[in-house]
Amino acid sequence: MIEPYGKVLILGCGTCMTVCDAGGEREISFLHSALDLAQARSGNGVHSFSEYTIKRQCDLEFLEMLLGRIEDVDAVLSLGCGIGVQAVAERFPDLPVLPGVNTSFMGMTKEWGVWDERCAACGDCRLAETAGICPITRCTKGILNGPCAGAKNGKCEANKDMDCAWILIYQRLERLQQLENMRRYYPPRNFRTIPRPRRIVSKATVEVGVNNE
Amino acid sequence: MNSSVIGSTRECQTTAIKKSTLDHSLVPPCQDACPLHMDIREYVDLVAQGRIMEALQVIRNGNPFPSICAYVCTHPCEEACRRTQVDKPVAIRALKRFAVEFGGDKMVRAEAESKHTEKVAIVGSGPAGLACAYYLRKLGYPVTVFEAHSELGGMLRVGIPQYRLPRTVVDTEVQRLTKMGVEIRTNTRVVSLDLLLNMGYKAVFVTIGAHQGLRMGIEGEESPGVIDGATFLREVNLGLKPSLGKRVAVVGGGNVAVDAARTVLRLGVNEVKILYRRSRTEMPASDEEVKQAMEEGIDLQFLVVPTRIGRENGGLNVTSVRMELGEPDDKGRRRPVPIEGSEFNEKFDTLIVAIGQAPQTPGGFGVRVGKGSTIQVDPVTFITNRPGVFAGGDAVTGPATVTEALATGRLAAYRIDDYMQHRYPLADKDSREKLSGELLPETIEMIRRIDRLDLPTSPPQARANDFEQVELGYGWEAAINEARRCLRCGMGADILFQYKCATCLSCLRVCPYHVPYLDASGTIRIPPDQCQACGVCVVECPAKAIVLRKPYDRRHISEELEHVLKAAAQSNVRPLIVGFCCQYGLFGTGTLAGLWRGAGASIWIVPVLCTARVEADHMLRAFEMGAEGVFIAGCGEQCARENTDFWVRQRVEKVRGVLTQIGIQPERIQAFVSTVTNDGDPAEELDRFAEQVGNLYLASIIMQEVRS
Repeated sequence: MIEPYGKVLILGCGTCMTVCDAGGEREISFLHSALDLAQARSGNGVHSFSEYTIKRQCDLEFLEMLLGRIEDVDAVLSLGCGIGVQAVAERFPDLPVLPGVNTSFMGMTKEWGVWDERCAACGDCRLAETAGICPITRCTKGILNGPCAGAKNGKCEANKDMDCAWILIYQRLERLQQLENMRRYYPPRNFRTIPRPRRIVSKATVEVGVNNE
Repeated sequence: MNSSVIGSTRECQTTAIKKSTLDHSLVPPCQDACPLHMDIREYVDLVAQGRIMEALQVIRNGNPFPSICAYVCTHPCEEACRRTQVDKPVAIRALKRFAVEFGGDKMVRAEAESKHTEKVAIVGSGPAGLACAYYLRKLGYPVTVFEAHSELGGMLRVGIPQYRLPRTVVDTEVQRLTKMGVEIRTNTRVVSLDLLLNMGYKAVFVTIGAHQGLRMGIEGEESPGVIDGATFLREVNLGLKPSLGKRVAVVGGGNVAVDAARTVLRLGVNEVKILYRRSRTEMPASDEEVKQAMEEGIDLQFLVVPTRIGRENGGLNVTSVRMELGEPDDKGRRRPVPIEGSEFNEKFDTLIVAIGQAPQTPGGFGVRVGKGSTIQVDPVTFITNRPGVFAGGDAVTGPATVTEALATGRLAAYRIDDYMQHRYPLADKDSREKLSGELLPETIEMIRRIDRLDLPTSPPQARANDFEQVELGYGWEAAINEARRCLRCGMGADILFQYKCATCLSCLRVCPYHVPYLDASGTIRIPPDQCQACGVCVVECPAKAIVLRKPYDRRHISEELEHVLKAAAQSNVRPLIVGFCCQYGLFGTGTLAGLWRGAGASIWIVPVLCTARVEADHMLRAFEMGAEGVFIAGCGEQCARENTDFWVRQRVEKVRGVLTQIGIQPERIQAFVSTVTNDGDPAEELDRFAEQVGNLYLASIIMQEVRS
């Protein structure tokens, strides 16, 4: 990926990627050393690397801090999530930007060094009905009428270490005395492809100086 | 692998961190409690690393006569030691003694050059006077010490018995003053300060001590056979042998009383009693001494006070009364109250009264004397009512400790310097913050218990007959193990770069001691009074926001690594192997140095203070800079922590993953966690590893040849 480029800036992200241990300052340094080592090992040192971490790559204002650091680099290797890579690309139209992280999912830290997926950002949230446990991301099949026949001792047939999301939902609804949630009829979920890109506008459309009433 | 020139921003980052972390450690309780404010934490740490000479250097920086303190200091530092909250305090004085005995008089720079012409006279050569002379000489003043006795030392020589402080120790320390160019006038009793001032001395420091024994004020105290403690000790220490009879009682509960009783025992008297008017808990004498006295067979009688002394058949008939403890007085000690009708008589040949001493200031000095005959001085400047005349030590404070006297002497030297140079005298202040606060129960629970090693003493039967030293010193291993018990208070982790912190909570999750916490505003805090300075969070922080507080300009691991690899580049022996070795354990204390000589490889050691601080990045960089193999050697069983091994292996596995991707055999990195104690010979293990790396290295060369 970096082969065509001589000078490469490894760019870290100081917010989510740091929290996920995937692209913070430490990870940047580690990747830097790994790349240096790989290059030294191959014996033809054509690349030179530098490293820098900004607070957040997904805001254009933070990207201004790269001015003065990117003029003489041939490419940026961004360890931001997919959003960070795109933001850098958008801000610097003439600069090649490479993704250093294969952004996988939205999740949470289970314990030190272990992360679990929790949300698919589907835009059709069912958590109110499922006692705060998402069947879309936590059920292997993503079904809305589980548990399926593959649940055994509360575990999923796909992975014996993985809890069955629907068993968890049942248990928690029972605990909350809301089991009727499972007996209710729900209209079918929209499984059509989400029309992308989505946009959320939180500001109202107002015309200044005109009486809107 | 040849390393290529790489443009990197790393160097400047390191410098920035170094600058910002310099000396922001907190003052630990031991240092705060020490009258001399010695850098105890630092020298204990150096002893733990086996760097005894450097420890001695630190000790000498803070103390003009460390050997003396090493024997007789009452170690307020140990009272303040926070290890007490876990098990028992670190044996600080014993460690200092080890360093001092090990290094002897080396590391001493006794030169002093004269920078001033104004002469200073010091009256009295006790610890305060000697310390003052030492520092004034260092500042460049011509100094003369006047001593009434034939030898220097004051109470060090005439008060403290030889079995506690060998005279050779006093001699060596005192001789240094002569080498520095301090003029010594022994057998010279100063009776008038006017004479000294007329002789051209611009300032006089009066440290005449407190040698006058206090009296009980009871009937018959004048009888022959009654002597005061200070006089008795002085006579014995000056070589006299007072005739004591067969039964001796010492009145008092302080160190002088215990010293007197033990001295009596050593003069051949078998029946020695100590009469003290309060109970064991109130005894001001140091615990060690009381314990040793009891071992030696001295009979301690508590809640007893003599009320009348009669002469009878050449002996003494002492009437005493029993006491009970009443209300606490203003110092918090419970006041003894006589029990009516409890009088009883006992027969002794000699009664030694050691209930305190006061200074005896000659009238010719013309200085104002206050409560308890002590000389009155300004507490900051040490100046008396006479211009140019300063005073300090027991003569001002009443009987106190050697260390306190040394501290006063040093301060007085600086104030005399201020006076001579017409500077406004300012009290010295340490700008660093003090560490305070108790350890929390959850922190204490996680701290590994390690038994305190007290100094061995010679058996009571053997020692009670002569004046040979009672306490014996540490051996090498005992000293290092004892030093490792230090909790290194105030050197813990600090979120120095708060702006980088993403509040990811890694530190909170990885801390073995449950120290970091989230405050009400959602900010992560690492309280310095709880942190145990293991460094795990520093290495695991994904934002590199945390650093360890460092008291000295210590090298970072990355700097050590660079340094080592630069040196290694000069060597032609291949393969090159880099080892990150714990400095605290066996691998650090020089033992390993002997092991790799035979190995068929060039092995270079990067010293680290705990392998839990080695980052995955460091290991990768060792490879990058040309190493063929890397190993990490911890101190194993000796480790003061529980889970170092876990963290080392985490990082080794991470590096192995990357090595595999790059096409380097993961076997080239290895962690030696087992120690000599369980896995036999560390040399063998290292040899095996060197051989393995050697083979891999050869194979890779052959592969290269084949390819080309």
